[in-house]
Amino acid sequence: MTSTAQELHPAPVLEPGRTILELRGLEKRYPGTHALKPVDLAFKSGEIHAIVGENGAGKSTLIKLLTGVMPRTSGEITWEGQPAALATPHEAMALGINAVHQEVVLCRHLTVAANMFLGEENSRFGILQQRAMVRQAQTIIDDLGFDLPAHVTLGDLTIGQQQLIAAARATVRGTKFLIFDEPTAYLTRKEADQLFTLIRRLKGEGVTIIYISHRMEEVFELADRVSVLRDGTLVGTRNIAETNDAELVKMMINRSIEQVYHKEHFTPGAALIEARNLSGKGFENVSMTVRAGEIVGLYGLIGAGRSEFVTTLYGRHRKSAGQILWEGKEVQVNSEHDAIKLGMALAPESRRDQGLCLNLPVGFNLNLPIYKRISNNLLISSTQEKTQADRQIADLRIKTPTRGALASSLSGGNQQKIVIGKWLAHGAKLFIFDEPTVGVDVGTKAEIYRLFGALLSKGAGIILISSYLTEVYELADTLHVFRRGKLVATHGFHAASHEDILTQALAEKQEKLGGQI
Amino acid sequence: MSTEAIPVEKPKRNYNVLFGLTLLALLVLLWILLSVATTSFASANNMANLLRQGSMIAIMAVGQTFVIITGGIDLSVGAVVGFATVVVAMMINAGFPIWLAILVTLLVGVAIGMFHGFGIVKMGLPPFIITLATLTSLRGIGLLMTNGNSININSDTFTAFSRNSFIGIPNLFWMVILVGIPAYIFLHHSRWGRYLFSVGSNAEASRLSGVNVQRTIYMAYTLSGLCAAFVGVLLAARIGIGNPTQAEGWELQAIASSVIGGTSLFGAVGSVHGPLLGAFILATINNGANLLNVNSFWQRIITGALIIIIVYFDGLRRRGK
Repeated sequence: MTSTAQELHPAPVLEPGRTILELRGLEKRYPGTHALKPVDLAFKSGEIHAIVGENGAGKSTLIKLLTGVMPRTSGEITWEGQPAALATPHEAMALGINAVHQEVVLCRHLTVAANMFLGEENSRFGILQQRAMVRQAQTIIDDLGFDLPAHVTLGDLTIGQQQLIAAARATVRGTKFLIFDEPTAYLTRKEADQLFTLIRRLKGEGVTIIYISHRMEEVFELADRVSVLRDGTLVGTRNIAETNDAELVKMMINRSIEQVYHKEHFTPGAALIEARNLSGKGFENVSMTVRAGEIVGLYGLIGAGRSEFVTTLYGRHRKSAGQILWEGKEVQVNSEHDAIKLGMALAPESRRDQGLCLNLPVGFNLNLPIYKRISNNLLISSTQEKTQADRQIADLRIKTPTRGALASSLSGGNQQKIVIGKWLAHGAKLFIFDEPTVGVDVGTKAEIYRLFGALLSKGAGIILISSYLTEVYELADTLHVFRRGKLVATHGFHAASHEDILTQALAEKQEKLGGQI
Repeated sequence: MSTEAIPVEKPKRNYNVLFGLTLLALLVLLWILLSVATTSFASANNMANLLRQGSMIAIMAVGQTFVIITGGIDLSVGAVVGFATVVVAMMINAGFPIWLAILVTLLVGVAIGMFHGFGIVKMGLPPFIITLATLTSLRGIGLLMTNGNSININSDTFTAFSRNSFIGIPNLFWMVILVGIPAYIFLHHSRWGRYLFSVGSNAEASRLSGVNVQRTIYMAYTLSGLCAAFVGVLLAARIGIGNPTQAEGWELQAIASSVIGGTSLFGAVGSVHGPLLGAFILATINNGANLLNVNSFWQRIITGALIIIIVYFDGLRRRGK
């Protein structure tokens, strides 16, 4: 696949360092999924190499292969000219390959210093030199310009601060190759700036940086080169100076934005649900209305209170103040059961943890919300059970050998169709989709968006949560921006620019991205 | 991720049936081998004995399976059996009608199960801990009630039941059928059965799909307690005494039967017929070991080894997915 890229760029313009890591025909297959099709790519020392792609394009698979978390199916990896197995995380770390993940994978109950030296503790005669480690850690943190204490428990810091510690930790371990996986998803603007400073400094020291992000602005601000993945294929690599936003998006989705983000406009009907000054754990004083036939988008950083707000509407958490009105009447939603009875359906954020019973059959998952309806007082009607499941499988074109196959054997996109499909037979009126396209290929994405249109045309209302601005921007009739638990701005369809929305989501008043350096 | 050529997987139902048949074949094979190897195995007396012994473990194993499917464990069932023998013996000796004594004993089992549900759902205790705590407490309460003595049951009608047969098959085995058929319908053909599986697979996903997770957990432990109390009644009838130290270690036999029968200790995989067959396989191994003059201590070691091997393979199967 890179052959095309190499043809387009026979001689790389940027040549600050030698090739440190080279991939030849790197490939990964899972049962049911060809997650990464043979990839050829060379990374140079001292470059910041951005990798972009839609959800499910294969970015996380690539990282997992590079960090030894998963074995590759085939292909070669050369590290500084020598073949590398990269079969275990330990081997990757020994070579100097480290990753800072979006979800911090450190020990929350230990101190910052203990985390920094985890696995490489400083001890004398078997006794930990605790004070010395705190001192050293503090020196490192201060040196990096982070305003953080080394002696506190890691869990007491914000997720953004923990992320900075994770980055600092990686830098002190002789890292030569550092991967950042959507590091700014939780970060405020100030924290993101600190992180960017750190990244540039590492680059100056000759470290290779892989930077994965949804945010194009960051890619253009930081990267030297950018590689685009689409549906497991490396579409191409560009020098950042020679490309632009539009070209990258086109490479990412291989069709026009309109084709993927198929948007149908309907005249909104009566209000389905209204939140009046609703407060709860993680958000406060949020008011909004969702009407029949419209998509209401919620955008913000992860942890900004969007998910907490909808799960409270859905009765998963208790509200602490405010009112919920359903079709104009105030209601008490004390449990998920109450919400479902009213006519709400939630397709939660994490398929794995909240959406599916993975080790149970596809048909079982599809029928779970409607078992009550398809059984009499005692027995389940097995004919109905079969026809209902088969109908959803056919309607949504879920790729599964039979309804009896386990949900775990399906690809991410098809799993997501189950999470959505189980509510279609239920006859819900309000659909809440929390990050519906994470880990889903472009084709399935377009299908899911078309399904939104079908739901709207039947008079349903949709709440769409996404950390991927393009998604909510292109689909939402009304777009609410969340920041730190508050609803800070509301826009109509295409009524504000990406940049304005990002600024509102990130911080009060800050210089624009790319303004410093 | 792209989707192409999904490997065809056999529907789960077929796998269940196949596994059941394998267990049945194993049981028959054991019976044939033991019939050849020993003179006494195939005798009517020994077979009746085997069925009686296996029946009680089988009924416990069914209740245990409901709990394990939800991803939990009930370590108290042996103690519940012992405690139930005491309750039913005391009531019968105090002159209550037999049906009332049995009913109250069963309700005691229900109450114990509800308490487990309460501990897990409301107090947030791990199933392992709450049922381990009732295991030791129930034995203690039983010993207090009896002063550490056995109670001889003074009703022949009650004890005769366990010795008698109906059309050539011991009454105790009929009890397996009495429990097994409703249990089968409940687990495989009612929505509550489905909820047991869904909670065991992913409680959060179930909750968000409108399943009452708390009620499902209460239900599983209550049924386990009920089955154990029922076995306590049967055991009291069989040995003619009430004694709180009876059925020591039966919880492990029930768990082993369930696991041999294909129930996954990781939850969400299990059936009713599997544990029933598992219980009789285990009973046959023990019975055969006796007849072959294998030191009875070895039976415990064999049971332990079986559990390790089967759970190991279950883990392999899960990771292989």
